[in-house]
This record gives sequence, C-alpha cells and structure tokens, in this order.
Amino acid sequence: MRTEWRPAAALAVALALALAGCGGSSGSAGSRACVPNCNAPANFLTEEDVRRVIAQAVNEAAAREAKATVAVVDRVGNVLAVFRMTGARERFDILSGRGVTGGLDGLRDTLPSSSAAIAKAITGAYLSSSGNAFSSRTASQIVQEHFLPGESQAPSGPLYGVQFSQLSCSDVVRNATHGTVGPKRSPLGLSADPGGLPLYKNGAVVGGIGVMADGVYGLDLVVTDRDEDLDELVAVAGTSGFQAPADIRGDRITADGKTFRYVDSESLASDPSRAPAFGALPGSLEAVPGYVDATVRAGVAFGTPASGYRPATGTFASLGAFTVVDAANAERYPPRAGSGPGAFTAAEVQKILEEGIRIANRSRGQIRRPLGSPAEVSVSVVDANGDLLGLVRTADAPVFGTDVAVQKARGALLFSRPDAFALITGLPPATYLVPAGATSSLAAWATSFRTFVGPGGDLDGRTAWSMRAIGNLHRPTYPDGIEGTPPGPLSWGFDSWSPFNVGFQLDLVYNQLVKGALGDTSTGCAGRAAVGAPAGTPDAGLPLARNGIQIFPGGVPVYRAGVLIGAVGISGDGVDQDDMVAFLGLANAARAMGTGFGNAPAAMRADQLSPQGTRLRWAQCPQSPFNDSTEQNACAGL
Amino acid sequence: MPASERLVAACAALALCAGTAFPAAAQEGLGPAVNEDRKLPPDRPADREIGQRRPGQSVPLEFFPPPADPSQVPPPLAATPRQTVPVPDRWRIMQALGFKFPFNDPYNQNILKGDLPIGDDPWLKENFPDLARTLSPDWFFSVGLVSDTLVEARRLPTPVGGPSTDRPGSVDVYGTGRQSTVAETLIVSLGLIKGDTTFKPPDYEFRFVPVFNVNRSGVEEVGAVRVDPRAGTTRTDDHVAVQELFADVHLRNVSPRYDFDSVRVGIQPFTSDFRGFVFQDVPVGVRLFGTRDNNQWQYNLAWFRRLEKDTNSGLNDVGARPRNDDLLVANAYHQDFPVPGFTSQATAILDVNREGSRGAFYNGNGFLVRPASLGDERPRDYTVGYLGLNGDGHFGPWNLQASVYVAVGRDDHNPLSGQPQDIRAGFMAMELSRDFSWIRLRLNGLLASGDRDPFDARATGFDAILENPQFAGADTSFWIRQAVPLVGGGGVALSGRNGVLPSLRSSKDQGQSNFVNPGLLLVGVGADADLMPELRAIGNVSYLRFQDTTVLGVLRNQSPPDREIGWDVSASVQYRPFMSQNVVLNASAAALLPGKGMKQLYDEDRRGPQYSILVNLLLSY
Repeated sequence: MRTEWRPAAALAVALALALAGCGGSSGSAGSRACVPNCNAPANFLTEEDVRRVIAQAVNEAAAREAKATVAVVDRVGNVLAVFRMTGARERFDILSGRGVTGGLDGLRDTLPSSSAAIAKAITGAYLSSSGNAFSSRTASQIVQEHFLPGESQAPSGPLYGVQFSQLSCSDVVRNATHGTVGPKRSPLGLSADPGGLPLYKNGAVVGGIGVMADGVYGLDLVVTDRDEDLDELVAVAGTSGFQAPADIRGDRITADGKTFRYVDSESLASDPSRAPAFGALPGSLEAVPGYVDATVRAGVAFGTPASGYRPATGTFASLGAFTVVDAANAERYPPRAGSGPGAFTAAEVQKILEEGIRIANRSRGQIRRPLGSPAEVSVSVVDANGDLLGLVRTADAPVFGTDVAVQKARGALLFSRPDAFALITGLPPATYLVPAGATSSLAAWATSFRTFVGPGGDLDGRTAWSMRAIGNLHRPTYPDGIEGTPPGPLSWGFDSWSPFNVGFQLDLVYNQLVKGALGDTSTGCAGRAAVGAPAGTPDAGLPLARNGIQIFPGGVPVYRAGVLIGAVGISGDGVDQDDMVAFLGLANAARAMGTGFGNAPAAMRADQLSPQGTRLRWAQCPQSPFNDSTEQNACAGL
Repeated sequence: MPASERLVAACAALALCAGTAFPAAAQEGLGPAVNEDRKLPPDRPADREIGQRRPGQSVPLEFFPPPADPSQVPPPLAATPRQTVPVPDRWRIMQALGFKFPFNDPYNQNILKGDLPIGDDPWLKENFPDLARTLSPDWFFSVGLVSDTLVEARRLPTPVGGPSTDRPGSVDVYGTGRQSTVAETLIVSLGLIKGDTTFKPPDYEFRFVPVFNVNRSGVEEVGAVRVDPRAGTTRTDDHVAVQELFADVHLRNVSPRYDFDSVRVGIQPFTSDFRGFVFQDVPVGVRLFGTRDNNQWQYNLAWFRRLEKDTNSGLNDVGARPRNDDLLVANAYHQDFPVPGFTSQATAILDVNREGSRGAFYNGNGFLVRPASLGDERPRDYTVGYLGLNGDGHFGPWNLQASVYVAVGRDDHNPLSGQPQDIRAGFMAMELSRDFSWIRLRLNGLLASGDRDPFDARATGFDAILENPQFAGADTSFWIRQAVPLVGGGGVALSGRNGVLPSLRSSKDQGQSNFVNPGLLLVGVGADADLMPELRAIGNVSYLRFQDTTVLGVLRNQSPPDREIGWDVSASVQYRPFMSQNVVLNASAAALLPGKGMKQLYDEDRRGPQYSILVNLLLSY
C-alpha cells in the first residue's frame, strides 16, 4: 500500500516544487515550498491591491445590506487604508456576550469603529506567517478560559492574555511618527472578534483586513457551531485573491491535537470578482489620527528595512535571524549591557539571544506547516529595570511576538523583583469607563496574591516567578480550567470575568489603554493615571512594564549569584516552545559563558510552591522538542 | 459456569481420580496384551446388528438382552413384594439412594447448578408450596460466582499535569510513568431455565448477572487518574454493573433434530466473530437466533443498542442513558465448511452512531470522551457497515483462524478534515497454528488499513465498534493490553485497552469510532506449552508497524514519525492447581521494545521501554 503511494507522492512533490515555486493563494498538503519562508521584497500590498481588497469587502457588505468599516494593514501593522461605507456606525460596543460589565466589557458606543477594524486587521496580519494563517477567530479560540472554549475542565487557551499586547503605549511597537517601520501599535490590542484575516501573496503574509459591520466587538464563545458572522463574511470577500494557502490555515494546525478555527463560513453573498471599481464604492476613505490619512497607500515588504525587520548581521546572520530596525535602518535593540548590580554584559546578552535562536532553529514548530518546520520566535532580554537589552527573531516569526516577547520578560521580572509588592501597591487604580467611575485597585491584587499564595507569595524577591507560574495564578479558575473552583488571585472570578475583563493584567495598563484609544500617543502602559485625572497628577507609571505584561508562558527571570538581574522573554510558536527557548536557551548560554548568570536557582522557583494545595508550574518544554533528534524531556534537570 | 466448562472440570476431576487410583499399575508399565479390552460376547450376524440411526422414520427397535452373567446381582425374586423408594423426579434418584452432595460442591448434583429441578426441592415445597407447584416439573436454577482479582503494574508514557504537577522541577512533558491497578470483580450469574435440558434446547431462560467491581489505580503524575490535579495520583472507584439481564424464549423447533429458532431480549453478550475483532460486548437488544440442518448452520439476526460504560471498570453503566449507537447484525455460521473441522462465518453489521446531537460527554474522571478532544471537537454522527468473512477450525493438523472485514460508511463530520468523509477501510487477521505434542506453535498476522490524508474526504483507517481481540497474546501482550496515550496529540490513545487497533479514540469503551488513524501491521509468532497438566506457558513476539503516520504527525504537529512501532515481547503462565477452571492463576509480563516511530513520539530512550505486568486470580463456583 505504502510502496505504491510513496513514488506517487514524491513525484507530486517534485512537480509541485518545479511548477509552483512559492505555492499560490491556495494549496494542499506539501505544496508550499518556500524555504525557509515565502517572504520576498516583491511580496507586498500595492495600492491597487488595497483598493481591490476594500472593493471586494464593501461589495459583500452591500450585498448583505450592511454598512461596514474596513481597514487594511500590511504585515507590520501600517494602516494602508480605512474605508467607511456611507451610513456605517461610527462607534461600536465591546461585549463579550457573557453579561459582564467591567474592564473593557460592556463599553458601549464609545470608541470609533475604525479602531475595531484596525485592531482586527492587525490581528490577522500579526498572528500569521508563511507557516500559519490565523484569524481573529483563531485569537478568540486561544484567549478563553478553556481550550477549546466550552471543553469543561480543559486548561485555558494557550495565548490567554495576548489580546492585551501591541498596545498604543508600548515602547516596542511604533506609531505613525516612525514612518513605515513596524511593528505598529494597535488601538485595541489584538482582537478576538471574528472578521480579522491575513492577506497573502505568493505564500507570504502581506497584511490583514479587519471589518467592523455588526457594531459589536466581541468573541466567539461557542466554537462547536458554525457562525455566519457578518464581519467575517465581509472580510472573507475582501481576501479574495489574497487568501491564505489552504494548507497553512489554522484548521490544519493542531495544538494538543486540537485544530484552530480559521473562518466559520465562506458562503459569500457576492462575487468578489465582480466587485465595483474602488471609485464607485458607497462610502469614503477615513482618516484615523495617528494611524492613517484618508488615502490609500502601499504596504511594505516584510524583511526589507522599510518594514522595520531585516536580516541580522554577524553571528545572528549565520543563524538566519532577523533584527528590528528604525527608520534609519539602525538596529533598535543590538545587544547591550544592562544596569544595576551584577547586570548583564553585552556579550552575555548576545549569547542568550544566540542560544535562543539556536534552540528555536532546532525546535519543532507547534503552529506551523508543513509538518517538521522549525519554531519561529522572537527572543528578548531585559535587565532588572525592564530596559530592553536585545531583541532578535527568526526570519518568519509572527510579528505579534515582537511585543509579546518583551511583555513576557517584563512580567516575569516584575513579579520576581524584591520590591514587587511595593511597586504594584504604589500604582494608581484602574478607573473603568464601565461601570462609570468604578475602580480596580492594583494594590488589592497584590494583597490578594499574598493571601492566596501564602508563604513564598510575598512578592519580596524570595521567590522567582516565571510567566507560566504567574499565568497559573491569573486564570478565572484555579487550578486552571477546573470548573467550580475560585479564581486565581490575579483574576476576576468566572462570573465577572471575560477576555475584556481579565483582572490584574488589564488593570495594570487600563488607564493608558483607554487614553491611547482616545488619541494619547505617549509611551508607557503600566500604572498610568486615569482618563481625566487632574493636571499635575503624577503619571510616571511603572517604567519596568512600559509595554504592559503578558500572562502566558515563555518568560523566565535571570539571576546571578541569587540576585535578579533581568529576564528573558520568548514569543512566537507554541507556548511550550516559547518556554523551552527561554529556559533551555538561557541555560545553554549560561553554561557557555560560565559567568555566573543563569536560570533562577531551583529552590527559589515558583514551582516549589503549592498555593491552596495545587503546585505551580515553572516551565514546560514540549514533547518531541527537536526536529533533528528523538530526544525528549530536553529541559530535565535544569 | 457454562456447561462446557463444567464438563471439562468434571473430566479433569475424573482424570485426577484416575491418576491417583492406579498409580502402581501405571508405574509398572502395562504391556499391550494386558491392556486389551475384555472380550465381548461374540458378534451377531451382520443382518441382525442394531445400527446407529438418525431420528425420523425408522423401523421399531429390536432389543436382544445380553446373555445372563452369573456374577451379576440376582434379579428380585418374583414372590417378594417390591421394595420401592418414592423419589420426586428422575433427577433425584441418586439422592433417594443416599447420595447427598453439599451445596458447595459444584461437581456433583447440585440444585444451585441446574442439576435438579427446583420445583421438587423439599425446602421450597415446605416453605413456598405455590411457587414450587408453579416451577414444577422442569424449572432449573443455576448460580455462578466468579471472583476476578487483578494486580497490574505497567509503565506508560505519562505526561506531567498541565496546570499543575506532583513535584517541583517538572519542566518537561513526560513525567515518571510507573502505574498500577488493583481490581476485584465479583460476577454473580443467576439463571432460571425451563426445559428438559438433556437433549434439546431449553424452552425459557432468564438470566441476571450483576457484577461488583472495586478498583484502585495509582500513577506518579497528577491529572492522569482524574482531570482535576487536586485529586492527586491515586484513584479508588467502585461500580455495580448489570452485565446480563435477558429473557430467552425458545420459539419453535424446526426439525426432528431440534434445530430451533429462539429469541433473546435484554442485556446479553454478543461477539461479532470468533476472536472479537469488531464487536464483543454486552449490549441491550433483541436477538433472533437458531440452527438449521442438524446444527450445521447457525444464524443471528439482531438489533442492539450499546450501553454506556462505567469509566474505570469498563462495565455496563445501566444507570446512565444508553448510547445513541445502534447495531443491526446478520450473520451465519456454517460448520464443517469447507472441510470438516472448520467453521465458516459470514457477517454483516451496521453501526449507526447518532451521538452528534447528544452534546459533549465527559467520562467519570472528568475527561471529554464524546466527541473526542481532537481536531475541531465538533460533534459527529456516522454510519458504517462491516462486511466480514471469518473462519475457525483446522485443516488436518493445521489450525487456522482467519478474518477479513471491510468497513464502508459515512462520517458526517471529521474533526480534522472539517468535512464529511466516506469511510473505506479494511482489516485482515490470520492465525495459523499447529500442535506438536504438548506445544502449539502459532503464526499471527494482522493488517488494518491506515489513513493517508486526514484532510481529504476519505477515511481509510480501520476501526472496530468495540473490539476485544483474542489474538497475538491478547491481554498478555503489551500493545493489546495497554492504552498508550498520544501525549500532546489530543485526548486520545494510540490504541485502546484490550484493543489492537491504533484507532486514536478517546476511549475504547466510551468513545466513538475513528477511521482517521494510522492503521497497523502485526506479524508475530507465539507458542503455547502445556508443561504440566496444571501449568501452561505462553510466549508471543510480535512486530508492529503503522500503515501511515500522517495523522500522528498532524495531531502532534511534528514530522510524521517513522512507521515502526517496535517489538512486543510477552510471556505468561497459566496455573490451574486443580486442573479445572475453578482456580486459575495467570501471570504475564510484556514489554514493547520501541522502534524508531515510538522513539519519535515518546520518551523511550530516557525511561526505558514501556511494560506491562499482570497477575490475575480467577476463582469460579
């Protein structure tokens, strides 16, 4: 049976290689043949492409008698156009559908629809790569209390908390003043509302489309049905001609054996090929201050300096790594020394980044096709002050990981600091827009944390906290996923929880997130003053976590002689891979350098603690971690 | 205990008696002359011989009394009054003569073993005269008791818990994998039978088999025995099951040779074929069955509905709603076809599963089993027909068992492809064996088709309905005995417990069939050695290989592993101290020597091979 099949398959692959090159806008198993990825200077959205995408989307909305706001972005988040159909609703409602009011949930008719459309377009572009096409529906699936949502007792989504990244106040993502270089901020972080899809050309992600037509910015709580979601259908029409290759869509990629949702329905009411000319569309281009003028512009090709990402030089180049650059093509985060007692040297940072990329290059990617692809991640190192000492990435890592890697490093750093409790309790409360005037005290979260964790949970530096351990305590159930249990001390209880109201992580950045959505472009997310705070209110925030923190695995603190000197944060592939690149990469670098830095001493790690009788996790390196060996349990004993 | 087993037990007991009664003679070594039969009276002329005949039209029997033997007891004298002892029925003649056997002696006449009609029981007559009258003259009652004690130790790939772990420093997926299970099962079989059962089938049979189970399992990682990590690493569970509850009505006899039609209604055992490859279970249903042509043909026509299973005992859970899974079965057995000593069977089974509308179902330990935690987890229905040809018997000295099945059907939603799939799968198994004095050598081969492309519209991996294969070492082999979880690839096992097919089901007992699986090739040899009348040793070595590992690669998002599973090496002993089935001690040990494919999936190199050791004591009354 097999022997008959094999030559046929080999022939088919050979033909595919010969004829298809980088594949096309669709493909089947094995037909994608870009090595290592499909990114090329020729692959970008032209102005004409942008107009076509918009025309196709507007055509579908019109066929459904809907009024949509459509945004198109390039892969690094430059907003290329926002088109508002005549009569489209100006503002939208944030509703999880869980009946929750608090945080961002229940915020009605406040923020402009363009923000939602941009956030959704950015989500489609940022989560995707040459190896995986994810949509905002995918995001919805991986930020909920269970994975899959609705699977009772299953742990939370693997990217729980990722919605609060790419924030407008982040120091890592760029804003309109930085030209075309990315990654660009998103007005609302990443979106879980279906209707955000990536756009592809020749197998490479070139951007994303986001649609807001139904007026609700929510998520999909029930994933076992098939929705006919208006936003999504309009977006699907927009992608015609720029569809993600079928073989790399989320529904062919598994995590723990479960496939991702890409889109629920592609039953269009219109024929995209007969979309009217752009000039004949019912509506107009919209200017969104800080994001786009009322024009259409072309996107940038990912990997060219104009995109803010280009191949790295030196040792990193030999590893195939990419670096992030500014508008002058200067590296933004070349390895440099940290500050403070026992701080990193530049050589140490360089080594940690190198070893991280080395591990990634060997690792089995969890969210990529074809099977056997290496993991693609962003690797970051911060010092004890949260200053970013270095950031590199593999060539095709999804863009969202640039910001998230740093958020992870800073999250692990914040909780591991000897003064963590004082830092957090000193911050002003989050002042919610809904219910109006309600506040959520950050000090209360810190106190709740101490009480819940008990000995070792004093946030006094005696316990080292990894991202995974913090995530354990930042879920609406504890242990994670087990229904009927109280929430972790950093999360709201399940009845008042939603992905728009998660607890500590959101509250830490809430004030500035809202201000940013309303136009404030200042940098620094954590611990800022509330909207409408009187002039002169101290507003330094918490620079340590200036792009916020993350609450899913992939970050570990770094120690030298028992003293916290910084943290490593990884993002981009499966969370177990992120953990391994952080934990094992750091261990390898420490061993190679022999200069005394390394992972937290085992006795200090949070997995020594069993709050409420349930042990915390430190890290989890993946099963079958490497493509080039049968080694298992690669992190044992570190 | 079934009649056949009791017969075996009785024969074994007789053999034992015979062995002890004449030891001296055996030691001396009897010459052929001494061993000859005693001379019989001279033959009659051929034309006056009484021939053996079949029932039906015949001439009246003629009887010729044997010549008087002067050494016999003299006949009663005509002049004396006959000394008669009144006996209630012909079964109690022996009792009337003074032979009384205690109730705990199943080897001799026993009212609890269906040897004596209960209506004539003195105790019943005295205390429940009306009942006794009702049950006269030919109702029999049979009790069976079986105690099944299992102690099992094994090492399986065991993930550390997801949200929590048992120990600090658990920073990888694979934890320590030693596991143990202790289970005690008490099977009580109660049967009420009407009929003069000596030569013909009973008229009615009512059977009730409650089963009491206690089990305890221990592992070394949390999240394995229960989904909630707070439940720790051990689990004690118990369950009371109803494994049989049926009424059997003898509808009619259709020939003078007691070929018959019967119908059996209720919870009843059913096996699809000789070895239980496709279905072996105790579902509820209605089965019409019977024989034709002097028992040369046997047939079954049945409808069954599968019952929910208790998660940890695997027994029927009659308190739960039955599965929405119906079977329609038609099969026929033909004895002595194509050659005497070989039985052939043709079977057709339609499995109609409509559990897609039932919503999610979680097992007793909190894990999702329907739909499986796999792919998109959208609910699914399927309809699949199995057509099979099976045979069992011998061709001269060669014993042969062979099975061929094709499965054809439709899955309305495959969770990986996200679309409906046509099911087209096949299965073959064969066991060829030959006895050499006290040793039987076996050659096993099994082929189950695998799926090549999980994303297309065809499902070509073979899966059964509920297999329980008595093949290639069965539960003494590692691969068949143990359920190896596909760690990191969804809430499914490579193959189910007591199952040979790598069908990636959430649970063999509670999950739905899955026709997108890697398939299997098994080639093995085995030997059964009767070392002593009390002791049998069994050994098996099987080489295992997947047919196509694409689906494993997809589920784990890794390069499809090598097809080689490895070598399953097992040995077991069966000790029957009394040479009967009443006390049976089984002990076995098995290990899977991993091939490259298993090494690419599991932590084989670091932990050493997976193994399975079990000790099982069966006590039967």
